[in-house]
Amino acid sequence: MAIAKAERLMNLALCLLGTRRPLSKRELRESIEAYLEAGSDDSFNRMFERDKDDLRELGLVIETVENLDGEVGYQARRDSNSLPPITLDAEEAAALGLAAKVWQQARLAGAASGALQKLRAAGLPEDVDPYEAHGALEPRIPVHETAFEPLMLACRDRRPVVFEYRKATAARPEPRHVEPWALECWRGHWYLAGFDRDRGAERVFRLSRITGKVRSRGGAFTAEVPDVVTVRETVASWAGETADRSALIRLRSGAGYPLRARATAVRELGDGWDELEIPYGHGLDAWLVEFGPDVVVLDPAELRADVVDRLRAVAKG
Amino acid sequence: MVGKPARPANAIDQTRRMLSLVTYLRERPGARIEDVARAFGITEDELVSDLDVLPMCGTSFRGGDLLDIDTDGERIWWHNPAALGAEAAEPLRLAADEATALLVAARAVATLPGLRESDRQALLRATAKVEAAAGEAAGASSRLSVTFESEGGVFADVDRAISERRRLWIRYYSPARDEVTEREIDPIRLVSVGHTYVEAWCRRSEARRTFRLDRVAEIKILDEPSAPPEIELRDLSEALVQPAAEDPEVVVEVGPGGRWVAEYYPHDSAEELPDGGLRITLRTPDPASLRRLALRLGPDGRIVSPQDLADSARRAAREALAAYDEVVTAYDGLDARLGASHAAGGVQERQYDRQERGL
Repeated sequence: MAIAKAERLMNLALCLLGTRRPLSKRELRESIEAYLEAGSDDSFNRMFERDKDDLRELGLVIETVENLDGEVGYQARRDSNSLPPITLDAEEAAALGLAAKVWQQARLAGAASGALQKLRAAGLPEDVDPYEAHGALEPRIPVHETAFEPLMLACRDRRPVVFEYRKATAARPEPRHVEPWALECWRGHWYLAGFDRDRGAERVFRLSRITGKVRSRGGAFTAEVPDVVTVRETVASWAGETADRSALIRLRSGAGYPLRARATAVRELGDGWDELEIPYGHGLDAWLVEFGPDVVVLDPAELRADVVDRLRAVAKG
Repeated sequence: MVGKPARPANAIDQTRRMLSLVTYLRERPGARIEDVARAFGITEDELVSDLDVLPMCGTSFRGGDLLDIDTDGERIWWHNPAALGAEAAEPLRLAADEATALLVAARAVATLPGLRESDRQALLRATAKVEAAAGEAAGASSRLSVTFESEGGVFADVDRAISERRRLWIRYYSPARDEVTEREIDPIRLVSVGHTYVEAWCRRSEARRTFRLDRVAEIKILDEPSAPPEIELRDLSEALVQPAAEDPEVVVEVGPGGRWVAEYYPHDSAEELPDGGLRITLRTPDPASLRRLALRLGPDGRIVSPQDLADSARRAAREALAAYDEVVTAYDGLDARLGASHAAGGVQERQYDRQERGL
């Protein structure tokens, strides 16, 4: 039976961490059973390279040293691999315990638990159940978009990418060449901010509109990454939340609670209708149409015309 | 414990766990399986499978110096802790992904308005310490961020009602019916998935209901004790709203401008149409609630079936248009011709909007 990968990785990690001098590939092969069973040199070499990458993914710093005979040796030195001293009290530990549970994405959930386990090994207090300590709260970060993981890695490693992107109102996706800067989750959806090479400017993309695979491109970023990347402000303006004008509407009494909750002024007209002043941002026309005959737009005229247009389209069927 | 995400076994996760485990066990001879599994946030079965692997591992490149770790099913014994040199047993530095996962989550949780102040302070202190300990590995964590949203006042009342086991009275807005109704609920737990929700037993419908906090118009904590029946909590990795198989089917056809419907509504199928639109089939217990959607779509889509729903949307639109003839004429004497010229402006406006939205 083939030896499990976790066992092989664990042995390689322990060898590299435990040694006081760099070990050659030959020495490592002789001391790890899975490598002895690897068969040909080729398959051993491939396995060894992959395993080193996996251990680096876990945070292990592996140094490569060439000795006088030109032979390469490997070592994970203690000073570059041990956690600096960190002392957390029980409250802090419970708070981190809660945070480590919020990811619903396998890679990040694994990484967050891994971080907590390393802290645990370093003496993090463990008496407190985070759910006990934090009452009834269960925050979750949803990640449903398949583009998330490759983009997260590309942001981390600052690697340019290309993907097919279908704009909100476009029938067909188009390839976009992007230097990815940052990902942000807002209201349960993920967005990417980056430099769009085709348009030569910063753009924000919604991950659920990326179709097909995210592919990495070689080479470095060509545009400077800003110190602060703002995703939420852009998305909020799409959602009509940055209103710079106001609108005047008539609303049937008792209807349209969310409109009332946002209103800056409400006047009862007494005939079964109220008059409301509400912020006028992007997308207000479509929202108002949802209320059908319970809303009448009075002002401004362009908003009224948009709403009437939409109503006509529905009335025609 | 509820809501622990189930994860497939993964060699990388298992390796990182075992590396921490050896450090941890070295300090704690005879540690109890139950306690170790809890400290590591894993099941006892997962821990036992790690304990099966560890005796096959060692540090000496000459071989023959394997970790002699075993368990009697209750406690874990390590008979040769010296087999692992002090070098190999030190707690390991955090990897970039680990620091990112923990720090981004901690910063997100700290934004929850409903978090108790003492907990927020503890979280902020812990975040600063982890950042310092992670050093360079913490750098990439600024490339990922999450904002939770919840209504602070409502959240605090729900949280208090849950911890004091008291019933709540709420006025709750239902967008499907565009109405605000009063109900008494026995709160069970608060859930943040994008928006924040309270899962509760609704005394009006005698059923489990999920209420979005930003739709709570008013809230009061009652003196009566909360007594929700024992119900099994749902797995949070599933969508909060799951249509049932017996729910009536609704078919919507949208043009390219209405493709967002497929992103926002859970659906059974979405077929591509030749014009770049979609034919979407979904199920809902209450098709009338989709009248809002039909109206919102305007020129970008229409209800194909059921006919009742399509008719009711058309009727609502005609009734609304009639109101414009009356009220708007009275308001500023606008006539239909003027309205039409504005309509042309409206088209340009929307094209501009599309460009903006299509970024």
